[in-house]
Amino acid sequence: MIKRGRGMACMWYPIGFTVMANPSGATVQVSTDGTATVMTGTVETGQGALTVLAQIVAEALGVSTDDVHIVSGDTDTTPTDYGAIASRTTYVTGNAVKLAAEKARQVLFEGAAPLLGVPVDQLKAVDRRIQVLGFPSKSLGIGEVATHCESVAGTPAMGSATYNPPTVPMDPETGQGKPFSTYVYATQIAEVEVDDETGEVEVKRMVAVHDCGTPINPMLVEGQIQGGISMGVGFALEEEILFDDEGRQINPNLTNYIIPTSLDMPEIEVELVKNFDPTGPFGAKGVGEPTAVPTAAAICNAIYDAVGVRITTLPATAERVYDALQELKKAS
Amino acid sequence: MNTRMKNLKKADKEVITAKETSTPTGKKDSRKIPTDNPVTYPTDFPQHESRLNTNAVGQRATRPDGRLHGLGQTQYIDDLSFTHMIHAKILRSEHSYAKIISVDTSEAEAMPGVFATLTGKEIPLNSFGPTLQDQPVLADTIVRHRGDGVAAVAAISEQVAADALAKIKVKYEPMTPVYDVVEAFGDKSPRIHGGDTNVYAHKVIKKGDVEKAFKECDHIFEEQFKTQMVEHVPIEPHASIASWDANGRVSIWSSLGRVTLGRQDIARTLGLSQAKIRLIGTPVGGNFGGKNEITNEPILALLSRKTGRPVKAVYTRADEFVSSTIRHPFIMDYKTGVMNDGTIVARKVNLLLDGGAYCSWTSTTMGKGSILAAGPYNIPNIHVEAHAVYTNKTVTGAMRGFGAPQVCFAYESQMDTIAEKLGMDSLEIRLKNAFSNGSASPTSQKLETVVVKESLKQASERFGWQEWKA
Repeated sequence: MIKRGRGMACMWYPIGFTVMANPSGATVQVSTDGTATVMTGTVETGQGALTVLAQIVAEALGVSTDDVHIVSGDTDTTPTDYGAIASRTTYVTGNAVKLAAEKARQVLFEGAAPLLGVPVDQLKAVDRRIQVLGFPSKSLGIGEVATHCESVAGTPAMGSATYNPPTVPMDPETGQGKPFSTYVYATQIAEVEVDDETGEVEVKRMVAVHDCGTPINPMLVEGQIQGGISMGVGFALEEEILFDDEGRQINPNLTNYIIPTSLDMPEIEVELVKNFDPTGPFGAKGVGEPTAVPTAAAICNAIYDAVGVRITTLPATAERVYDALQELKKAS
Repeated sequence: MNTRMKNLKKADKEVITAKETSTPTGKKDSRKIPTDNPVTYPTDFPQHESRLNTNAVGQRATRPDGRLHGLGQTQYIDDLSFTHMIHAKILRSEHSYAKIISVDTSEAEAMPGVFATLTGKEIPLNSFGPTLQDQPVLADTIVRHRGDGVAAVAAISEQVAADALAKIKVKYEPMTPVYDVVEAFGDKSPRIHGGDTNVYAHKVIKKGDVEKAFKECDHIFEEQFKTQMVEHVPIEPHASIASWDANGRVSIWSSLGRVTLGRQDIARTLGLSQAKIRLIGTPVGGNFGGKNEITNEPILALLSRKTGRPVKAVYTRADEFVSSTIRHPFIMDYKTGVMNDGTIVARKVNLLLDGGAYCSWTSTTMGKGSILAAGPYNIPNIHVEAHAVYTNKTVTGAMRGFGAPQVCFAYESQMDTIAEKLGMDSLEIRLKNAFSNGSASPTSQKLETVVVKESLKQASERFGWQEWKA
């Protein structure tokens, strides 16, 4: 008989390396037409990092995402970056590109101030213009200002910056310290169907509510969450590298090592918790890894709710759930 | 016929019409389409307004690379080719644990189409690793798992390189391996890296007094949880191309996710200054933690130096499974002290990590796993102790979550066990114990911007937790 169950799991997860310095550097240059080029040592690994970095720079300069081009991941041209790891790109590299963009913006303000006849601190960058605070009509196009800075004042609008999340080393005896600058939080709730005759589990629905501080790009956050859940479903129910008695992998291929396909995926409902981290770029933290963290726990709690067996060894394959159901029958 | 079918038919018709107009009967199309590239890419698509709006933060901005992926225009390593480029393959160990007596590549080198071979002895500094440099680029004295490379071949094609691997003669002296992590942790196990223990990383998180709290609490829950080895399974396996030029400078295109540190590691193994290395991170077809350290880059660089040609290698799916890193299996013993009202007062956690043949990112995985092990809960008395142990199995390293999915499986499973025993709801017990702003973490860090309770409430509302009927 098919039994339905529900299970929840919450989690916390840090952003960046554990204690160890993990700096990112960046350079932002505003061209004479008001578009910008960013140099970063990070690499696009498919998560949309470069789009997020472009949005952060665009926000700082008051231009659009499409006005920003990112040059990335080439040691001949781009500065130090400790890489696409530890859910750190939005927070650490994001802070670096924001600081660099603000320095370039400062050059623009210094160029525009005498033209607009106000002090530098009376300016803001908005809608592709350098504008006098409180006087939207008193403004110059960002390209015009960049051209002035470069070809009249002789100071091209560029800025470089680095960022490293602050930490405090952990005591070697007790582990006490501040290993990370910030953490994110999340809850996922699973609805499953378990066949109590075969032990087969189907995840029908996942509700995922995550914190990432400010979502710089909500669509990409949702994408990360869906991807993380697919890895979590595989971890919970299917995936396992098996060995023979001589240390040889039995299933090093996608015929025998089963990962979830689109047909195995539940309906996923994503929501974000409203949050703002003042230490992150425009309040952002990160989301990459945490999305895969609570899924297996939520699914196993749902299996227990459905059929009363507590799976303590992953993955919860049909065989394992079936065996546990047989044990339960014997005991009762 | 429903509307969707109608639209499909219409679309079909349009495609046919378009073809007919562009190639009038009997005449050759004046726009020459190269035969090796039958796809013409649209070049004049308007950008989505999400990319054009100012106040860029918060926009659902579409990705410039997404369009290229969708059109098959992205250049992954496998799409890159250079003049005179040749292909490399790596021979993997036949044993899980053995001394290498000799490696004879002469027969392979004599094969037509083979340009060069490489063994571990030819690598200037044959070790790497993000924490401990305990892993050889190509094993030269001892193999410690079946994924260890023992020799490499560069040849005119992948097939010739693969055939040449079969001609390499490696003499081994097998040693007694250990696969089981508990056995490897014990006193009588063979020592995989010498010394007097297989434990190569250890971590303690200690706060309050767990033993005292266990004596004073109302209930104690003890459970053991275990997790398995899993692979990242990126669509794109590890891949690189190296090209050594006449100035002694090497350019490397790699699927590596961290070029700054990658260049440092490559420079170290090659004994080359960093200024002599250009490392280019190509668009990565999935990383998930598996592409955070060097693999074949130094091998390809040296083969390129030997042959004067660009050398490319793309791992097969099997290479990816056996020789790249995978997720650590954890054995987790949880002992939790709880009061009648559901307040958790103490948690003692023992973690045993199957660390595989080499350290890789184990220390980081163990560290994060330990810090996070007690869960996002205010628990005054905590004692977490973790050990990572060498075994003669696949190298365990970084993977999405660095130990967090493993410990979350344990702490959240146990939360439900506790809730059931005390007759509490899963949501209620979590809200009772969860962190809030200003909570002290297990390392006594004051936590800010904490929203775990908010996420619990919001998720429960969205799910319909209270209204649920099985």
